Amino acid sequence: MSMLRSLRADTKLFRLRLRSIMVTKSVSSFAALVAGSVFCLEAAAAGPVDDEFEPADRAHWAFQRVIRPDCSVVNHVHWVRNPIDAFVASQLEAKQIEPGPAADKITLIRRAYLDLIGIPPGPGEVDAFLADPSSHAFAKVVDRLLASPHYGERWARHWLDLARFAESEGFKADETRPNAWRYRDYVIKSFNEDKPYDRFVREQIAGDELWPDHPDAMIATAFNRHYPDESNARNLMQRRQEILNDITDTVGAVFTGMTYACARCHDHKYEPILQTDYYRLQAFFANTAARDDVVLTSDQELERYRHRLAAWEKNTREIRAQMEAIEAPKRKALEQEYFEKYPAEIRAILNKPDEERNPFERQMAWKARQYLDPKSHEYVGSSEDVLAKLKGEEKRRWQELKAELDTFAHLHPGKLPLGSAMTDIGNAAPRTHLLAKGVFDQQREEVQPGFLQILAPKPLEVTPPSHLKSTGRRTALAKLLTEPQNPLTARVMVNRIWHYHFGKGIVGTTSDFGLKGDRPTHPPLLDWLASEFIQSGWSIKHLHRLIMASSTYQQSSKHRMEAARIDPENKLLWRFPLCRLEGEAIRDCALAVAGLLNPKMGGPAIFPELPPGMPAPRGGWKVNDDPAERNRRSVYVFVRRNTRYPLFDSFDMPDPHESCSRRNVTTSPIQALNLLNSRLSLEWAQGFAARVLESADGDRQKQIERAFRLAYGRPPDQAEKEIALKFFQGHRSILAHRVADGEELALPSNLPKGLEPIEAATWVDLCHMLINANEFVYRN
Amino acid sequence: MPRIPHVIPVTSRREFLAKSGCGFGALAFSYLLGMDGFFARAAEAPTAVNPLAPKKPHHAAKAKAVIWLFMEGGPSHIDLFDPKPELEKLSGQPMPESFGRPVTAMGTASNTIMAPRRAWKQHGQSGIWVSDWYPLVAHHADDMCVIRSCWADGLNHVGSVCQMNTGDILAGRPAMGAWTTYGLGSSNENLPAFVIMTDAAEVNGGPKNWSSGFLPAVYQGTQFRSEGVPIYHLTPPGSIGRKQQRNKLDLLAALNRHYAADKPEDTELAARLNSYELAYRMQAAAPEAVDLSNESEATKKLYGLDDRETEKFGTNCLLARRLVERGVRFVQCYSGSGSGWDAHSDLEGNHTKYCRQTDKPIAGLLTDLRARGLLDSTLVVWGGEFGRTPFNEKGNGRDHNPWGFTIWMAGGGAKPGTVVGETDEIGLRAVKNRAHVHDLHATILHLLGMDHEKLTYLHNGRDERPTINAGEVIEEALA
Repeated sequence: MSMLRSLRADTKLFRLRLRSIMVTKSVSSFAALVAGSVFCLEAAAAGPVDDEFEPADRAHWAFQRVIRPDCSVVNHVHWVRNPIDAFVASQLEAKQIEPGPAADKITLIRRAYLDLIGIPPGPGEVDAFLADPSSHAFAKVVDRLLASPHYGERWARHWLDLARFAESEGFKADETRPNAWRYRDYVIKSFNEDKPYDRFVREQIAGDELWPDHPDAMIATAFNRHYPDESNARNLMQRRQEILNDITDTVGAVFTGMTYACARCHDHKYEPILQTDYYRLQAFFANTAARDDVVLTSDQELERYRHRLAAWEKNTREIRAQMEAIEAPKRKALEQEYFEKYPAEIRAILNKPDEERNPFERQMAWKARQYLDPKSHEYVGSSEDVLAKLKGEEKRRWQELKAELDTFAHLHPGKLPLGSAMTDIGNAAPRTHLLAKGVFDQQREEVQPGFLQILAPKPLEVTPPSHLKSTGRRTALAKLLTEPQNPLTARVMVNRIWHYHFGKGIVGTTSDFGLKGDRPTHPPLLDWLASEFIQSGWSIKHLHRLIMASSTYQQSSKHRMEAARIDPENKLLWRFPLCRLEGEAIRDCALAVAGLLNPKMGGPAIFPELPPGMPAPRGGWKVNDDPAERNRRSVYVFVRRNTRYPLFDSFDMPDPHESCSRRNVTTSPIQALNLLNSRLSLEWAQGFAARVLESADGDRQKQIERAFRLAYGRPPDQAEKEIALKFFQGHRSILAHRVADGEELALPSNLPKGLEPIEAATWVDLCHMLINANEFVYRN
Repeated sequence: MPRIPHVIPVTSRREFLAKSGCGFGALAFSYLLGMDGFFARAAEAPTAVNPLAPKKPHHAAKAKAVIWLFMEGGPSHIDLFDPKPELEKLSGQPMPESFGRPVTAMGTASNTIMAPRRAWKQHGQSGIWVSDWYPLVAHHADDMCVIRSCWADGLNHVGSVCQMNTGDILAGRPAMGAWTTYGLGSSNENLPAFVIMTDAAEVNGGPKNWSSGFLPAVYQGTQFRSEGVPIYHLTPPGSIGRKQQRNKLDLLAALNRHYAADKPEDTELAARLNSYELAYRMQAAAPEAVDLSNESEATKKLYGLDDRETEKFGTNCLLARRLVERGVRFVQCYSGSGSGWDAHSDLEGNHTKYCRQTDKPIAGLLTDLRARGLLDSTLVVWGGEFGRTPFNEKGNGRDHNPWGFTIWMAGGGAKPGTVVGETDEIGLRAVKNRAHVHDLHATILHLLGMDHEKLTYLHNGRDERPTINAGEVIEEALA
């Protein structure tokens, strides 16, 4: 408890400091902003109010309105390229730390490539940058990278961590969600289009209500569809509550940067988040349910589809009728068996006509329908399930009919493109209650939808849209989240962008802007960025340009003892921090350097090889037959919730059971074994070696140079040349012994004519170590 | 943050301590103070905190290691360790009204009571009841602390297996093995500190059951296979020889040292360099650990390796002993992995089979641990994710029962020859000295020298601990 007190005291001190920076700002514009907003941020100034909060809570920095600060005046005028630098320099100067020197051009272009598109620059791209003497040379590189479709692939992965994106249910069976990938593609597309962030938020919270005819906006709502789910759950009341909790926790963390989850069972112990706040946020989602049958074709296409389907149906009516006669009783039995396992109250609800069900019962029926509706991908009586029940003559006859049916396959229009979404299932929502200790059936007082009471005490007025069977609650939330007066949304997002650029946010705890979270290292910078973000029309690419144009970003990562003495953790950014790449990026970079990366974008996920001996995880993992498919970018690797792809898992890919805003960065021998011994990493080395050898004329020195340029974008220095040449001497004789013993060699994927195998295999091993080395897996 | 590399740069120790919470922080702090001396001497020279370095426990530990024999699917407590004469009387009748009608996994609560068909006997000095399904395990009755009053929250396998491992029926939290490694470090870094072995299909819920959750990945469990190469990618492809690999690693080390030359302070880079040497040593250490060729024929026989039925689980038990001998902290051996013990029908056939598969290996393990003087420092835990219902399912099976079931422990400071707690007269619910999964976890951690309330990690604004916000040490189970 004493720790808590001191934390709060700290916050108070900090607030005073923050005030001294900001209090001089225009009071009149402040008042103007407040008018018409649900936010009640002036409360802090208004003196004591009769509620649960303490003045210190109200004074917390993250609850103050974002007011654009003036740029600091600094001495290092030549170092300052834009306001970011002024804010950074001002704090460095206050501590008598010199800002860092600029990184060399090669380091800078490699940094930018890894940062924005997640693959390293090729030698040609480096040369072009080196040859461009203009002062805009780097800005041009940044623009080009932001225009690359690979930008969206790189940055979508960050957002997918936040969205706890996975393509399977989790729990026991971990069944595949066949259309989850469409959300992944939506995120990639949104980043590539530089979709304004406020629109991006609104689409994900309430796209179905706001743009019901826009397929992308429907798919966007799948943000809330990524909850883990148990197809075998009996207690649907409890299951629904668990899903709502997941949504509440995720929305709270991702968009508001508040640790709502702790308030599920009681008022938050450390933050001014009341238990009612938790259920107020939850109430926005009280009437939502998964919709996995969103048709994603135009009306004309749908018409054509139906036409073709009708033709197929006509031609196959007789066969299908015979199959149906065999299947129907089995299917009915499977449905009945599943139905019987539900407790009596759920069975009673399912037996009622829909019009007699109240909104809560409708929720229950909808959830059960997911398993009892033949059109659902989770239907318990699917053809496979039925086939498993058939025996003897019946089975033989069925298979015969199936074979016959297959001869008409050419007439079938195939599967209709479907998407998953999260929509309301009517105009009236079930009541939301505060739950004692968070237990699903311990209902206490009723709660209306609303935001954090410390910021917006009143519940929200919600008007149901007239033209939709929806409550309009989420539209209200979407508006609230993206109001420029909301003190959290913009701050939280600019801080996330900063975090992914620098490996650490201005607020270190990127999903915790509360009293117990980290305080910002550069408060005015954070507010300036937030204000700039909103003014730019919530443009994320604008933020990238600003950040990357700054001297702060373009600093060398070189260590300086005199600076480290004062600021050992580099909190004030006297150098660019070294960042380890994620497992996904390491794989992408290696594939790129090996010349194997298939740039094909979008579509259903890929299934690359699993470690030899690893059984396919539950839910399945059918490796793609086509190696080119397997070698697509990591963002397309199937995300099975219970079993992450082992390479990524070992490099701290987060568990997709909950939102993750900051990945751990750990180092373990399991990672080393993976990159050292896997057949895949050797394959990368074989491709890489082939590229080294393809254009060189057998001059080993030149080849070493090419290898370094391919892997690191730079030529080797003298010492590295010597290390490599020395390796050749020793290694050739080791390999010669192996050849003499009749052992096989790993050769480049394309062996140039006339090249001696021992020399070629030495190249593979050298290249293998170049992609294992630290320089390869760090953004410098 | 959470930048906790294999070796933590001292520059971030404040953050590491902050994350590690007040209680645990204090103990980590004492370790770090030692580092401070070095730090001061070497001026700003970088040094590092290894997150796997052995750490002092909160209090004197009874157990150094845990071997958890996980009977996956839910063994029937009322047919194994918790005799209920009342079931004979009620056999064929519905449960008395007074018990209510709990929601069960298969909706079976209105089915009639099914009496066990076992012969029961008291064993050893302690007179602990064990049914004839476990004749050899019964010889160790005087080593056992049988907790008959366990209860859990989940109704389905996946949630319940998850809770037994992580404390929560919903996925995402660290497994007890991960907490243990986080709290105590490793005593042999050439082997993973937390090892899982299965005997059949994938465990329900898969690797999330040995996940490090929100703890750094360095603490997660590693699945060992008992056949072939124990860890994925442990050996290089056939085209790479041992000498060749060594020479490659020397090249790698030279490249990495050169790269780090102007970043002398960066211990993360040094840690990564070191991780390749650890991996290299693991390549030798792991196969040695699973190589049974030096075990005597008598030992192999003791574990039932000479019998096809007991060979698989017996091998895993023997491997568990070898791993514990080599400093591995936390070993889990699953029997019937993928819900083998889940006897919804034909309880007789199912349990006869699984008891037969495990009886000799478990008895062998206990005998062997004692003979080697390891039993006192090794906590053996036996149990499933829940028990089974007194009423029948499909006439000859039993449904899931999370309201009352048995788990027993032996060695490692568990009170020998003891029975703790009771279920009601039909074995449906725990009624006396009720022991929730959190209590079991608190007890296991306690025996390992850790206080479950002080072992914390700051995650999303909360000092998370293994027992979430409950759990009490079961004092009656302590020696």
